[in-house]
Amino acid sequence: MGYLQSFIRQFRARLFLIILINNALIVADWYIVDQVVKLTGLWALLAISAMPLITLGVIPWLSTNILVQPTKFLWQAILHIAPHTTNDVGAPKLEQLHLGRELVTNLINQVYQLASVVQGVEQSNASPSQDLHTNFVASSLPLPLLVLDKAETIVYANESTSKYLGKPAEELIGQNAYTALDMSFRSDDTLASWLKTSKGKVVTANHKWERVRIGLPGQGDSLLFDLAGYYNRDNPLGYETLLILFDHTEVYAQDDQAMSFVALSVHELRTPLTLLRGYIEVFDEELGPTLNPELKAFMKKMDASAQQLAAFVDNILNVAKIEDNQLTLQLHEENWPNVIETVVRDLSLRAGVRGITIKTDIAADLPPVGVDRYSIYEVLANLLDNAIKYSNGTDEIYVSARLNKEGLVETSVKDFGLGIDGSILPHIFDKFYRNHRNRAQIGGTGLGLYLSKAIVNAHGGQIMVSSKVSEGSTFTFTVLPFTQLADAGKAGATPSVTRNAHGWIKNHSLYRD
Amino acid sequence: MDSGTTPTTPKRVLCIEDEHFISELYARALTKAGYQVDVQLDGQKGLAVAQTDVYDIILLDLMIPNITGIEVLRTLRDPRQTPKMHAKIIITTNLEQREDVRADIEQQADGYLVKAEITPRELVEFLSHLDA
Repeated sequence: MGYLQSFIRQFRARLFLIILINNALIVADWYIVDQVVKLTGLWALLAISAMPLITLGVIPWLSTNILVQPTKFLWQAILHIAPHTTNDVGAPKLEQLHLGRELVTNLINQVYQLASVVQGVEQSNASPSQDLHTNFVASSLPLPLLVLDKAETIVYANESTSKYLGKPAEELIGQNAYTALDMSFRSDDTLASWLKTSKGKVVTANHKWERVRIGLPGQGDSLLFDLAGYYNRDNPLGYETLLILFDHTEVYAQDDQAMSFVALSVHELRTPLTLLRGYIEVFDEELGPTLNPELKAFMKKMDASAQQLAAFVDNILNVAKIEDNQLTLQLHEENWPNVIETVVRDLSLRAGVRGITIKTDIAADLPPVGVDRYSIYEVLANLLDNAIKYSNGTDEIYVSARLNKEGLVETSVKDFGLGIDGSILPHIFDKFYRNHRNRAQIGGTGLGLYLSKAIVNAHGGQIMVSSKVSEGSTFTFTVLPFTQLADAGKAGATPSVTRNAHGWIKNHSLYRD
Repeated sequence: MDSGTTPTTPKRVLCIEDEHFISELYARALTKAGYQVDVQLDGQKGLAVAQTDVYDIILLDLMIPNITGIEVLRTLRDPRQTPKMHAKIIITTNLEQREDVRADIEQQADGYLVKAEITPRELVEFLSHLDA
């Protein structure tokens, strides 16, 4: 406030001085004309009329040079720091200022200060990284976080990025995301394709990718990540796309190891099986007609055994998949009688060699069902295989299908053989459960029913058993009509639904229902 | 490409399969059914033959020497690398895949068969329905 008061005082003094000078000039003019030169008449009139001319010239000149000077300095300072000015205005030379120097110096300093604040804000907007660096959450996040701008250039990479990708985060900044990171996706669903479809169509979008292999160009190792992306169009800070990487390398490696052991074993078992089945067929076709009935029956038994072995190999594989949460079902709309008939036809050989006939009784009004053909085939094959094994000399097995009261398609496999004791019924769907009473007589692994239950449940159905010793067993399972399944899975109009043993799967990422 | 309308020219099948006994069985059954069969035990050579010669059907194993079957499939399906590809490609394998990988392969191929689950006769039957 002191500055302002002294400025006003100085200003008033100067104004007073200017007016005084002006008046003095007028008086001097009059005095010179009247007393010194002693002009009269027309000359005196001319000389006196010079007065206002003097006033007009002197006052504005003095005013602008003395009174406006502080304002001029202020303008100069503002123009000096103002952006986008074409003419170069230098900084005001404050030592040349006489009027209100303190006040003007103070004001000019404030202008410069304000300007530097504005510039700071502008700069932090231009390079978002500065703002994010100070963001504690981003920098201390234990997961790699990358920010891309509109041009898909990396504008920020947090500390964790360097830890996982083995390169200082600063080196990634400014690089194109696709050249800086060597990302390989499992399918056509890539970051680039997602951004391409998102840009210009949506304001925000989220996406997740699994098993994305990411390496840095020039470095041998790569890691497997799950990748989560968040897109935000026209983000005012320029952070258009946020990527968070979840390192799942070890998890996936374990999965792969466990699976690769089973997969390799299965491959090794299947190769001789393929040959066995191939040669049996050649013998059966070309030698069959020449064989006596006993040898012909042997041939059939050999074929049935090879088939059974092939089915068993599939069972092992599927159990491994269920344990590993890798059993995924593609549920399609299928004609249920067709599925049943395929299985019955394939199993008839095995039944036939034991003198058993499989009879079917399928309701005519069955709606199309939603099943994974390969997996549900195994359920039916397992149930029929058990029925054959436990028929105990009886010669018929019934397969029936109908629509039950709940609107589900219910299928039963009924045999008239050994039957199961009530005390062990609750355990028969357990893994590796074998009935000790007939373990010696009847072969098996105890995987079939365990697997069947898992598959039926994964289909959204249920499996049940009713049995009486010496009278036989009836295994019943349900599957959903396709329309009902589509509703339950919220599949809408899509032609298929993907499920695994533990819940719904959509777009290859797992959602539990 | 002509779907058996001219029975005088037998359909040509290329069997890329390193398991000699299996390719022998397949070739035998297919020849009996009227196909003309070439066998390649090596993936690299199989790919070269598939790219230069004209076949109606290619039976492709996935576990083959020198190059993976998936690589062969990809190369044959890539119009830049294999501009003239008319053959139907049927994957014949005993290898177990992750479901999604299998789905990927199935999408690129015209058929996917697990060898242990079919006999040579069933293979012939499958092929006869291919372009029906």
